[in-house]
Amino acid sequence: MRKPFAITLDPGSSLANHTGSWRTLRPEYVDRLPPCNAACPAGENIQGWLAHAESGDYEAAWRLLVQDNPMPAVMGRVCYHPCEGACNRGALDDAVGINSVERFLGDEAIRRGWGFPQPAERSGKRVLVVGAGPSGLSAAYHLARAGHQAVIHEAGPVAGGMMRFGIPKYRLPRAVLEAEIARILALGIELRLNAKVTDLLATMKEGAFDAAFLAVGAHIAKRAYIPAGSSAKMLDAVSLLRSMEGEAKPMLGQRVVVYGGGNTAFDVARTARRLGAEESVVVYRRTREKMPAHDLELEEALQEGVMVKWLSTITHAGESSITVEKMALDAKGFPHPTGEYETLEADALVLALGQDVDLSLLEAVPGLEIDDGVVKVGPDMMTGHPGIFAGGDMVPSERTVTVAIGHGKKAARHVDAWLRGARYVPPAKPETAAFERLNTWYYSDAPKTVRPLLDVIRRQSTFDEVVGGLDEGSARYEARRCLSCGNCFECDNCYGVCPDNAVVKLGPGKRYRFNYDYCKGCGLCAAECPCGAIRMVPEEI
Amino acid sequence: MLKQIEGSRAVAEAVALSRPEVVCAYPISPQTHIVEALGEAVKSGALAPCEFINVESEFAAMSVAIGASAAGARAYTATASQGLLFMTEALFNASGLGLPIVMTVANRALGAPINIWNDHSDAMSQRDCGWIQLFAENNQEALDLHLQAFRLAEELSLPVMVCMDGFILTHAYERVDVPAQEQVDAYLPRFAPRQVLDPAEPVSIGAMVGPEAFMEVRYLAHAKQVQALELIPGWADEFRRAFGREAGGLMHTYRAEDAETIVVALGSVIGTIKDTVDELRAQGVGIGVVAITCFRPWPLAAVRAALVNARRVIVIEKTLAVGIGGIVSNNVRAALPGSGAAVYTVIAGLGGRAITKASLAKAFADAIAGRLEATTFLDLDRQVVERVLAREREVRRSGPIAEAVLKEIGPVAARPG
Repeated sequence: MRKPFAITLDPGSSLANHTGSWRTLRPEYVDRLPPCNAACPAGENIQGWLAHAESGDYEAAWRLLVQDNPMPAVMGRVCYHPCEGACNRGALDDAVGINSVERFLGDEAIRRGWGFPQPAERSGKRVLVVGAGPSGLSAAYHLARAGHQAVIHEAGPVAGGMMRFGIPKYRLPRAVLEAEIARILALGIELRLNAKVTDLLATMKEGAFDAAFLAVGAHIAKRAYIPAGSSAKMLDAVSLLRSMEGEAKPMLGQRVVVYGGGNTAFDVARTARRLGAEESVVVYRRTREKMPAHDLELEEALQEGVMVKWLSTITHAGESSITVEKMALDAKGFPHPTGEYETLEADALVLALGQDVDLSLLEAVPGLEIDDGVVKVGPDMMTGHPGIFAGGDMVPSERTVTVAIGHGKKAARHVDAWLRGARYVPPAKPETAAFERLNTWYYSDAPKTVRPLLDVIRRQSTFDEVVGGLDEGSARYEARRCLSCGNCFECDNCYGVCPDNAVVKLGPGKRYRFNYDYCKGCGLCAAECPCGAIRMVPEEI
Repeated sequence: MLKQIEGSRAVAEAVALSRPEVVCAYPISPQTHIVEALGEAVKSGALAPCEFINVESEFAAMSVAIGASAAGARAYTATASQGLLFMTEALFNASGLGLPIVMTVANRALGAPINIWNDHSDAMSQRDCGWIQLFAENNQEALDLHLQAFRLAEELSLPVMVCMDGFILTHAYERVDVPAQEQVDAYLPRFAPRQVLDPAEPVSIGAMVGPEAFMEVRYLAHAKQVQALELIPGWADEFRRAFGREAGGLMHTYRAEDAETIVVALGSVIGTIKDTVDELRAQGVGIGVVAITCFRPWPLAAVRAALVNARRVIVIEKTLAVGIGGIVSNNVRAALPGSGAAVYTVIAGLGGRAITKASLAKAFADAIAGRLEATTFLDLDRQVVERVLAREREVRRSGPIAEAVLKEIGPVAARPG
């Protein structure tokens, strides 16, 4: 063919022009820290496992999840999910139901019998773990996966700690808890029950341990002085909830008053309703805004008929009544007595005023610093005594199952490094994937899935689980609501908008790379990335 | 077959008879009826095989036409006014690449102020874009020029713009003779592209060309248009033999042989001018008409031959080249060096203002009497413009001109005519 002069040319000729040399800004693919991951006390890669779940590979999702947290089925029930509070989707419609997907994955793993892989190599090191609560189990799990021999000494007759003795069955069915504990122990962890450690150093020496992780829960109820008649029935929340695990259920009567404002107070009040109390009243000295209990806990309690008496302190407990003094908040938000009194009918008064940790096992250990009932630890979770680490309720922190599990993981990493004579340096955290970096209109509208709730009437008489789980379709739908903040999900947007064809696809799961020979640095890809996974960096000229 | 139909329908029938394979459509008055009729024809199966593509803009319309034509399809589109401006960049590409696209321009004024009525501002603004530009005098010629346009475009490998006055022609119901399909098929062979795309032999079309060859490419574009000047009269003869009537060509004359005064114009206004000339001839005035059909390429030699013996030439322009005056008249002057003829520019009919016989006759009489200025505006309301100019001299913030003019004229101002 004779080609029209200078109009029709050989193909591909413009490739000789390396237009990338015009660039003053360079696009780079980045993985930013999704806000859910940043908020997770257990350090889960939530965005990562949601991505597997949304592709329908639930086992891969679960396996990624348990790299950080060995108890997803428990988490999916008892975690107060700060991840959802941080979720960018919350600014769009509703946060992704991360907690419900986690529960689905946890339940799916139990149903299908997925287990943990045995460690490839054994280090021969022995680590003593004191306490079989969430923190101790988490630490033992991570130590076992790193090849160390973990031995748990548990004072009680069964494992689970506060998950068993503090959280009622209607929030955490015991079969779920036991299945996840059994799977952890199957890694070859030795569990010694009814083995309270009284002298830590003696136990370590006796068992030839190279290090120890202390994770004793806060099982001792705090007391407050309340003048009481001789026949008044007063109990503490910890022993009440603990006795729920025994054969003989406690006798509380028709009218129960609970004193306190934490999650435990509401667990007690809700338990009382289920035990047959017609009236279950929480007395709290401040207001709802000031109350430490989580909203969800309060909401479910109110649904079940629990009543709350705000701005009130108990001044006297009698045989069948208590006296309450009204309080008023001052300008700084502190409650002050008003001198106004009221009488409440009460067959039993339960004190839920907080808990302490029994630190007697540390009496003979030198170098420890104890302040306000907890042990001081460094950023590596190590106490003042070399080789002794601590976490969970024992150290200054929020006391939740998730925080405890996070402590166990963090401590295990430092113990592992310490055993090898090294220091564990956590990888630098990338900057957070803020909502402002998203182009949310690229995502489909998708309202949040609501988990089924047990009928209120059944919640007043049974200890059946209150919150139901999602079925597979709903869980996958919920996972797909994830915006994948700050992490490329291969949507091809950059590939499509690049005016220079400078985005190269590397194949499914391998993302893209830029062809800097031709990228002119226009920044369209970064501006149009739905999830904010591309940044523009000035070129050095 | 004789039909009493709307100008747009007549053009649509001519286009359909030309068997386009791709029609890109984006609506804009006064062109819309054409693509609507073609859309109906494609949907009913009367025009097949043909891809009717609803595009998202005029820029897309021309871009799709470029792609279709480059791929070897006979491509057609239509537009007007701002739509033509919106596809400007693609117009230059189509001609630069030598793609034989045919487009109807239903001539309409350009904003601002926005105006949907007829003048030649749109087509004239694109006079140097490398397309062949043909102007139709009436609906029969509009129909005939479209048949010729495909032939012309494909023989020369150049795009052709057929210009017809918006509303005056597009919306007028007139008798037209619509040829039979066999006649058109005999006149217009199947499109044989200058080059065919072949996946086995890939090429780049329209890639960057540097200073080493760009000037030569532009020269070749010019040479090809000059070459068209030689070929177009021959094809008009062929058309006459095939269809039995005169159409197309570079220009035609009317009672111009011995005329001292010749009026030059394009488009539908020729009809009014011919009537005026007839009346003046009856009074013994030596006046004639040169009607330009092919404005680009500009038929320099033919215009010179037609005008060289005239004492005065009056160019009726439906466009204003702001800051200089006429466009056609400047082209006419370029054809008349040393002839001694006075060339008058009469700007007329802007934005749809009616051009009446009375006003034309007065302008011609003034020219003959030596009273006409070199550049005049037919039926310009002098009082209005003087008052607006006076106020602008006095008041710094005098407001928008269009609103000021309307205020001067009163509430009936937006009435055409």
